[in-house]
Amino acid sequence: MLLEIKDINKSFGEKRVLTGVSFSVEGGRAFGLLGRNGAGKTTTIRILMNVFPSDSGQILLDGEPIDYKKIGIGYLPEERGLYPRKVIIDQLVYFAELKGMTRKDAVRAIDYWLERLGMTEYRSKRLETLSKGNQQKIQLVTALAHDPEIVILDEPFSGLDPVNAMLLKDVVREQIEKGKIVLFSSHQMSYIEEFCDAIAIINAGKVAISGSLFDIKRNYVRDRLVVSSRDTETIRADFADSVTELENGSLIIKLASPEEKPEVMRRLVENYDIDEVKVFEPSLNDIFVEYAGAQI
Amino acid sequence: MKQFGKILKFELMGYAKNKIFVGITVFLMVAIAVVTFVPNIISAFSSDTGEDTVPSEPTSAPVMIISSSDPALSVTVQTYFIPVFTGYAVVISDEEPEAIKESIVSGEAECAFIMDSLSSYTYYVNNLSMYDSNTVIADEVLRELYRITAMVGGGLSPETASDILSVMIESRTETLGKDQMENFFYTYIMIFALYMVILLYGQMVATNVATEKSSRAMELLVTSADPTAMMFGKVIASCLAGLTQLILIFGTAMLFYNLNKSALENPIIASIFDIPFDLFIYMIVFFVLGFLIYAFMFGAIGSTASKLEDINTSVMPITFLFVIAFMVVVFSMASGSVDNTAMLICSYIPFTSPMAMFTRICMSTVMWYEIFISIFVLVASVIGIGFLSAKIYRVGVLLYGMPPKITTVVKTVFKKQ
Repeated sequence: MLLEIKDINKSFGEKRVLTGVSFSVEGGRAFGLLGRNGAGKTTTIRILMNVFPSDSGQILLDGEPIDYKKIGIGYLPEERGLYPRKVIIDQLVYFAELKGMTRKDAVRAIDYWLERLGMTEYRSKRLETLSKGNQQKIQLVTALAHDPEIVILDEPFSGLDPVNAMLLKDVVREQIEKGKIVLFSSHQMSYIEEFCDAIAIINAGKVAISGSLFDIKRNYVRDRLVVSSRDTETIRADFADSVTELENGSLIIKLASPEEKPEVMRRLVENYDIDEVKVFEPSLNDIFVEYAGAQI
Repeated sequence: MKQFGKILKFELMGYAKNKIFVGITVFLMVAIAVVTFVPNIISAFSSDTGEDTVPSEPTSAPVMIISSSDPALSVTVQTYFIPVFTGYAVVISDEEPEAIKESIVSGEAECAFIMDSLSSYTYYVNNLSMYDSNTVIADEVLRELYRITAMVGGGLSPETASDILSVMIESRTETLGKDQMENFFYTYIMIFALYMVILLYGQMVATNVATEKSSRAMELLVTSADPTAMMFGKVIASCLAGLTQLILIFGTAMLFYNLNKSALENPIIASIFDIPFDLFIYMIVFFVLGFLIYAFMFGAIGSTASKLEDINTSVMPITFLFVIAFMVVVFSMASGSVDNTAMLICSYIPFTSPMAMFTRICMSTVMWYEIFISIFVLVASVIGIGFLSAKIYRVGVLLYGMPPKITTVVKTVFKKQ
């Protein structure tokens, strides 16, 4: 399966929210949709889920316009919430039925998921009696019970303790292995790096960068060196403005251009007591900060 | 359509599982049952003790004193007062006015008429009750007595004079249209029930939508269901719940009224339960349509509020509109002119016609085509407002923060998407 978002534009009144948003997501691989608050992630997701139409652009599944009657989409919204005063099984069945399941199938699938997430004992309880983390697991059931082809998880790990986060990771991996299209939206870069092969960073309604994480990292301008040395002070003095220090005591030297790399490396090794010198590999956080334009 | 069915069922179950909703319904049913049994219970008690009851002593009745400087006048007045003031022991006193006043203050007597002549007296009473009609009765009696005395003085026999004064006029009224007296009470009850139910359930629909929005269940709902199905499902479920509640309450009233009919011989109560079948059908039609049109608007307004606290202010324009409609109808009913210009106009405006047209059908003569036009306009408006409110709902549920201006919402709804 291949989901393609092509040149989506959307305005609310005078305000332009999305401009030419395009990216594609492959089945069996997780995709990270990143961006600062208000960048346009939720609007993109809502258009993808047909909550409202885009002003222009297309959403294609395997080259054809997506047919929402045939394709199931599971959604875990960032703003969590179900009916606090209703019994859990009742509302889970309701949501599954709205997604087109029969009551019998819905009950069977929900019981499976409650069991899988260790929530069976809460089946007949009201939602408001559960802890926040457990409520989030119940919400996850609404996203997965109808076995959707596309799974959209908006900040799935926020509010989960390490044990539950581990459980969710297993569930997500299982969904990816089943060949589903899994779309993540998160500010927790470590999870994105762990799961996602490809990302798109949205900044002010435009895709700032998209593609495979490996390629993005490889194509990142390799103009910085990480240096571990006992002569920190001397190096600082010699390289002056182009040096910054990392928390672990290593120095980062920014080069005027990537071509200077062999020359500067040689100079360092020859003139100072160097433990290690290597090309700086950006983390996803570094990439995000650069493309989304601010620190998280 | 399938989704609509699921939503309808879920919402109806919500009402059925709502303890307050069920509690109030059961409470009202029990209360009605008890109230309708009260006359039977009272008569059962009084018939048990009936044989032992001794007629009350005349002295136990409150004392009414008649006093005059002319003893013959006192006797005449007493003779005429005894049959009309049956609740009093009417006695003659020859004491001084001061002593009579004291006996009233001390509670020995309740009131006194000190007669100057047949056409002039002073009435003494300790605390003048709001409902004290003794002077009115006394005036009437004395006036008759005065006339008889005058006629007898003019040569007529007392019997002839009495006959002349008490002549009975025979009259018959044939109502060719509607009898407003007879229809007034059930029309009023229906209008009032409609008023209560629309405001209560309208608020419930608005609160229900706003709760879904504030609890963020809406985030899932909008991605799971069609907003038109959501809106229609919710509103029709609340309509069915309201109708069920009314049927249960009025059904109970009807059942227990019939069980206790013999003890409840009251023409007003009888007129309420004697509603003709065609009016009953009109009642259901106008009730359902009136309910739907307002519930849709309440639902749409509810979707624009982010917090439950915003609901009360947001729904105010609709509540005002509805209260005005209610006032026009109730004042017209009270004044007896249900066919005035305001009512004629209100009969065709969809927001007022459920009450105005129903009232006119009940209490006046309305042509069939007038009813047809009114219902047609109402049905078309219900459908139109239903779809419009679904569109507002679709836009409104995703707007968080301050409730938007209604013009902004409408503009967004009609903007080409």
